Amino acid sequence: MTKSGTKATERFADGWKRFPAMSLRNRMAFYYTVTTAFLLAVVFTAILLIVDRIVYMHFDEELRHEVAETLEEANVKGQAFTGFDNFRCIDGTQEEDDEDKLRLKKKEIDSEFIQIVDSSGQMVRKSTNLSRNLLTFNPVYSGVRYFNSVVAGEQVRQVQVPLVNRQGIADAYLIIAIPMKSAMIVLLDLQNIMLVSFPAVILILFILTRAIAGRSIRPIEEVIATAETMTQANLDQRIPLPRNNDELYRLSATINALLDRLQDAFQREKQFTADASHELKTPLAIVKGTLDVLVRKPRETAHYEERIRYCLDELNRMARLIDQLLMLARYENDRMNPNIMKIDIGSPFQSVMSRIEHLASEKQISISKEHFTSGAVAADPAMLEMMIENILSNAIKYSPAGSAIEVATSRRSGLLVCSITDHGVGIPAEKLQNVFDRFYRVDESRSSSTGGFGLGLSIVKKLADLQHIGVSVSSREKEGTTFDLTFPPA
Amino acid sequence: MRLLVIEDETGIARFLKEGLEEEYFAVDVAYDGKTGLDFAMTNDYDLIMVDWMIPGISGIEVCRQIRQSGSSVPILFLTARDTLEDVVFGLDSGANDYIKKPFEFEELLARIRVQLRKTNHDADALTVGSLTINVSTHQVFCGTKELALTPKEFSLLEYLIRNKDRPCSRSRIIEHVWDMHFYSDTSVIDVYINFLRKKLEQAGCDNLIQTIRGVGYIVRETRPDAE
Repeated sequence: MTKSGTKATERFADGWKRFPAMSLRNRMAFYYTVTTAFLLAVVFTAILLIVDRIVYMHFDEELRHEVAETLEEANVKGQAFTGFDNFRCIDGTQEEDDEDKLRLKKKEIDSEFIQIVDSSGQMVRKSTNLSRNLLTFNPVYSGVRYFNSVVAGEQVRQVQVPLVNRQGIADAYLIIAIPMKSAMIVLLDLQNIMLVSFPAVILILFILTRAIAGRSIRPIEEVIATAETMTQANLDQRIPLPRNNDELYRLSATINALLDRLQDAFQREKQFTADASHELKTPLAIVKGTLDVLVRKPRETAHYEERIRYCLDELNRMARLIDQLLMLARYENDRMNPNIMKIDIGSPFQSVMSRIEHLASEKQISISKEHFTSGAVAADPAMLEMMIENILSNAIKYSPAGSAIEVATSRRSGLLVCSITDHGVGIPAEKLQNVFDRFYRVDESRSSSTGGFGLGLSIVKKLADLQHIGVSVSSREKEGTTFDLTFPPA
Repeated sequence: MRLLVIEDETGIARFLKEGLEEEYFAVDVAYDGKTGLDFAMTNDYDLIMVDWMIPGISGIEVCRQIRQSGSSVPILFLTARDTLEDVVFGLDSGANDYIKKPFEFEELLARIRVQLRKTNHDADALTVGSLTINVSTHQVFCGTKELALTPKEFSLLEYLIRNKDRPCSRSRIIEHVWDMHFYSDTSVIDVYINFLRKKLEQAGCDNLIQTIRGVGYIVRETRPDAE
């Protein structure tokens, strides 16, 4: 399934590769032009058809008028045909001499032709301008009928009207024709103009749309230019925002926001590396320097002992830091799967207490569990223990001797919340958001007087994220700090 | 020679002070940028060592402000920051040298000597007449005969020789040879000068240190036509 899907995608991609040279600008112009060409073709055809129809309408109207006039002149009313005599007004049937014929031919056939035939189609009378020619009689048509025909090689529009006697039988037919040549020329010209102008219009349109498309995607070129020059070194560069608040503006703004986040992440990584290297190198420099100086001269045994002990302390501190860094690196890997199970919230506290009791009693700090009730939570037992140990040892570290730390549970919107509150120095509000950052310490002097590295709480945060436990901190300066752990439903 | 160490890590400050004092330097320590800058502005140090990441004013800023005050005292950056841009930035802010932590103590000493030498256009061996002292090995020779001097005597002689042909007031001598924890009166200098003169005389380099009445002392090559 997946395989065929991939194949289809590949094929699709292959299809696109066939137009590799076509830029977005050309493609936009091309699609626009093709669409417009199609529409233009439809419109031109419609115009031609309509004009054609109108021309015939006018011819037919004129024919109808001629018929009415001829019949009126012949006094044939109500279409009651009485005899051919009435049609004397139509020029006689006499043969014209050659001279006449010539004259007629030269005169061009510009007026109407009239012809009367009997029911068998035999010509009875015709107008002189027809000379030897005859109008076509079509016996198939019984009613009034308009149609195209040819007289002496010229296109004509012609009508054939049956002349009915009192009995209602068509005794004769009146045929009138008018030449269409001039109209046909106009129609043909129109058609030619359209045929010639169509490709010209399309070509101009393509050039114009290509230019307009080029103009409107110029901000994209700027985006590309900026993105191409961007490296880690000039990550503070941003794409200039276009003037109009359109899609390209949003694209630029989105990329800029992405760059902000990227720069932020880079900055954080850089800061972390700098901090980690500082934290690791400082104890190393202390140990190395102290021992360097120590061996330069012979000294008292007590002096040696004191310095070596001092170095051991520094090395232990360094080992702790390396442990924490490795732990953080391990948990940083999101593939690390917590072994989440249903456990009682009380049990991790119990094991942590046994481990840190001596720290608390050293400072005469009491840990009260007055408002602590057991409850089931979903968590990884080992990870939860480490979180609680980090928070509690932190609380002890920043609490004055003889104060109390409260551990309590409560329910907030159905979720179990575990709170650990100390009455220590507290954290200033503006620094609260940073306490989970790696190597962040509230007191800025990076001295080792408090013994921490600023990694404990970032480990707590990482572990909480892995187990989907919410962790938040609230604090008041000089009053104390509360850490809340919000557990997902067990 | 009197040095200032601006370093917040007590462990580092401690071995620096100890090791440098054993090398006959007078060493003051400041644990934060503000104090360090105050010390640097009020005392005349021969060299200042600054850590980059210190509380209060950063090492870079301390360096800049010392330079802005017009001082050209040699400044050594002593820091764990080791990227190329850090080194360049540190040197550009006015430091004379940049030493990355952790470092070899011997190397630090050599680099300090380089900076002190630069200020005098001299090598490690300083000579006045037939007297030669080596600031690196702390040996003193009068001709070919080696003299045994105490660290303080050596420092005093070194300071005077580094400033040879220039009169040195007692207060200047105090400032450059003793650290700030020494507050007793300047007559201690006269005592040490006496010790020095005796030892030099025994070795045959007499009349090297001359008294300038009401001011202090001066070291100059004794010329036969003098006085």
